[in-house]
Amino acid sequence: MFLLRLEQTIDRFSDLLGKIAAILFVLMLFNVFYDVVSRYLFNAVSIGMQEMEWHLFAAMFMLGIPFTLRAGGHVRVDVIYEGLALRKKAWIDLVCTLVFLIPFCLLVAWYGVDFARESFQLGEGSGDPGGLPYRWVIKSVIPFAMFFNFISGIGLMLRSINILAGRHQDDDYTPVQH
Amino acid sequence: PAQAAEKTYRLKLAETWPTNFGVFSHPAREMAQLAEQMSNGRLKIEIDTANKHKSAFGVFDMVRAGQYDMGHSASYYWKGKVPNTLFFTTMPFGMTATEQYGWFYFGGGMDLMQKVYEPFGLISVPGGNTGMQMGGWFRKEINSVEDLNGLKMRIPGFAGEVLAKLGASPTNIAPGELYTSLERGTIDALEWVGPSMDLRMGFHKIAPYYYTGWHEPGTELQFLINKKKFDSLPEDLQKILMTAMKVSAYNMTIESHHASAENWFNMKTEFPDVQVKNFPPEVIAALKKANDELLVEAAAADPLAKEIIDSQTGYQKLIRVWTDIGERAYLNSMAEE
Amino acid sequence: MIGIIMFFAALLMLLVGFPVAYTFGGVALIFGVFAEGPDIFAFMPFRIQSIMENVTLMAVPLFIFMGIVLQRTRLAEQLLESMGQLFGGVRGGLAISTVLVGALLAASTGVVGASVVAMGLISLPVMMKYNYDKRLACGTICASGTLGQIIPPSIILIILGDVLGIPVGDLFKAAVIPGAVLVGAYLIYILVIAWAKPEMAPTIPRDDSLNRKQFYIKAISSIVPPLALVLVVLGSIFAGIATPTESAALGGVGALVLAILYRQFSVKMVMEASVETVKVTAMVFAILLGATAFSMAFSYTGGDYIVEEVLSNLPGGATGFLILSMIAILILGFFIDFVEIAFIIVPILAPVADLLGIAPLWFAILIAMNLQTSFLTPPFGFSLFYLKGVAPREVTTMDIYKGVMPFILIQIIIVISIMVLPSWYGLV
Ligand code: NA
Ligand code: NA
Repeated sequence: MFLLRLEQTIDRFSDLLGKIAAILFVLMLFNVFYDVVSRYLFNAVSIGMQEMEWHLFAAMFMLGIPFTLRAGGHVRVDVIYEGLALRKKAWIDLVCTLVFLIPFCLLVAWYGVDFARESFQLGEGSGDPGGLPYRWVIKSVIPFAMFFNFISGIGLMLRSINILAGRHQDDDYTPVQH
Repeated sequence: PAQAAEKTYRLKLAETWPTNFGVFSHPAREMAQLAEQMSNGRLKIEIDTANKHKSAFGVFDMVRAGQYDMGHSASYYWKGKVPNTLFFTTMPFGMTATEQYGWFYFGGGMDLMQKVYEPFGLISVPGGNTGMQMGGWFRKEINSVEDLNGLKMRIPGFAGEVLAKLGASPTNIAPGELYTSLERGTIDALEWVGPSMDLRMGFHKIAPYYYTGWHEPGTELQFLINKKKFDSLPEDLQKILMTAMKVSAYNMTIESHHASAENWFNMKTEFPDVQVKNFPPEVIAALKKANDELLVEAAAADPLAKEIIDSQTGYQKLIRVWTDIGERAYLNSMAEE
Repeated sequence: MIGIIMFFAALLMLLVGFPVAYTFGGVALIFGVFAEGPDIFAFMPFRIQSIMENVTLMAVPLFIFMGIVLQRTRLAEQLLESMGQLFGGVRGGLAISTVLVGALLAASTGVVGASVVAMGLISLPVMMKYNYDKRLACGTICASGTLGQIIPPSIILIILGDVLGIPVGDLFKAAVIPGAVLVGAYLIYILVIAWAKPEMAPTIPRDDSLNRKQFYIKAISSIVPPLALVLVVLGSIFAGIATPTESAALGGVGALVLAILYRQFSVKMVMEASVETVKVTAMVFAILLGATAFSMAFSYTGGDYIVEEVLSNLPGGATGFLILSMIAILILGFFIDFVEIAFIIVPILAPVADLLGIAPLWFAILIAMNLQTSFLTPPFGFSLFYLKGVAPREVTTMDIYKGVMPFILIQIIIVISIMVLPSWYGLV
């Protein structure tokens, strides 16, 4: 039952990322709205606030990707997949996670660490007046998000293993709620 | 006979510019061609545009990390990473292209530039000049300092800071949305390059006033080289590389002048309604004052910045005297034409 | 060579059914590392950073949110139903409304992911509810969601302007007539199919309890609010209040205001809509990330040189060159992203076109139309992925593939007509 509990723990973690990303989205929406209103009505432009837009946007979708993996929201070409039995689907997910997803995420995360550290060491900030400092913060979202993606991938792997071991009856599909 | 065994050195260069970016695309290509010909094929340089590496402003990091051996870019793009790189492109109310080359090669500029880049394992070399850049496209006239108040203008970097000091609102707009934004009045003004590049953006169709320049009197591009890689080249190839860079930079400087003249002629013929304007002396004086104050602040913040600013202002004073009695006097004397 | 093998490997692996984004990434990983070593992946953070900093793409989550809120408040549904009913006896009214709303969205954004997903959320459920043929519904949404490419403002036109050295404004103007013709062609197709096969596009029954006057009042009162919202979005661009990207945020906030007016607003609703937005946005951006890894491995293993070589050796005079280059772009469009095509291929073709005396504006519009088609072509058509990402379970990939076929055909016919009659479109 350990594997089942581990899967559930990872799922909860991915869901948390989704909630964080959702909050970042709402902040971004009002950030853009505020910037438009203050520029149009008051001729007041803050480069820092303008840069905050893409910071929020970037963090939102990067953290959203691992959540979406857990929520089954990533598109598949299901011409063949759709008709397969649950166990076969589980095999596909298990193997592809191991061969594609995990190495990809870890490799990008690995190089992402250097990328963010470089920025930290240089004390990189915006080149524009009034822009945001601490560029390393947004740059380190890359390795973190990729690592979380790896964790979420482990969750998918565990789900597949648990299905193959007969501990699960369902697949990962949760449709967009209409 | 010993030459036969000589090996071929291959360098990879990353440009900040996308494919086919007008005169900006020429120096790297010409440099690579010259280097290969002068070295009898022993030095081969492969160029990747931003369309391939997808990271226009990652050139500094990629050359530093050795992912590329060289770059072609502009020094002021690295201001956010290394503030003192700002000074080696152009400065508001600074030197013209010719004066600035004097500073680089005879006034101590190269040494100071190396002092800034050395700690990052990089060599920086002048990479061609765009010449005088225009002050930008305006939808409304600027007749007084008050007209700058609340002016929404796309103008990045140090010049933006100068304008902000006078109450303008520098604004970030994605390049792909510049045209729509200016056309619809989302922004009041923008600066791009000059006639050599502005024509294809089509701004002359949507903004009536083209103001003359003050903020980028001689924009110098930059070749970046990974120092370790450079040191690993045989001495003759190092010399060849340096010569090829210098020649191609020189050629771009001339070509920019030519392209601007030609494009301006076409623009004027096709769109006779575009009005070239000078900022009134009152506005220029206010801008200059704001600029000087910002330089004093920058110098106070960092000793190396102070050294560079002092060197630049000192050299500018020296050489401007000659520019005044030389070119300026000559041009003034023919002003009637 | 590696590039070509990579294509077919990706094609094969996609069919296995693992998520598209990770399949792209995984294939890129295997081939990239095999050919160049792991250090090729040191470029990935830079490429991801470029996507993160691309503010134009912010329109994607913003429009998705607007679509989701409109859909949750049932305002979108009422809009489409009323529009469908207003077309009265005309069959296919819902599909026609979808095309018209798609054209309006297209005029406010150039980001295909944004409008396909918004349209998929808004109109697919409604069409399904009224027993539309799944394939017709999917094809209509993919095609009208993709209109953003040709109807200005458009990203592809901006890129083409840059690559070909044509002022963006000229391109935008030149694209208006071809865009309108395309919309017209979609409408005609829908009318014809609905007339020939009524069961594919049923009419929406009118509510008999209402008299004529009540019916019009109800219809107008459900059309006005969401339409006003779309007009606010468009108007904010035209009035110089917002950039096209920012206008999408006005749409999102506007949708919330409508929700408040219709007493459907709650923090819970906003949070749920936001989580849904994140999910759909992440789906879109994961594909972009996977695709950038794929194109990185493709070009750094020499794929761009293969493409270059083939294209620079196209035979034939002006006509032959035009036909062959259009076919080449169409075929490449089956496999790779339009941005890649614009950047890798157009710079090769442009000088040849110039030499043959082909007007740049004409050439650019032809390419833009052709690239728009590439969004719709299986198996790599991005619009198809995006719609699949928001479609209900009973819609399969095959339904979408089959549904877009007639629309691809329409696109090809339009491309040919532009090729044959450029003066009719005002392009020469
Ligand atoms: Na559009
Ligand atoms: Na395609």
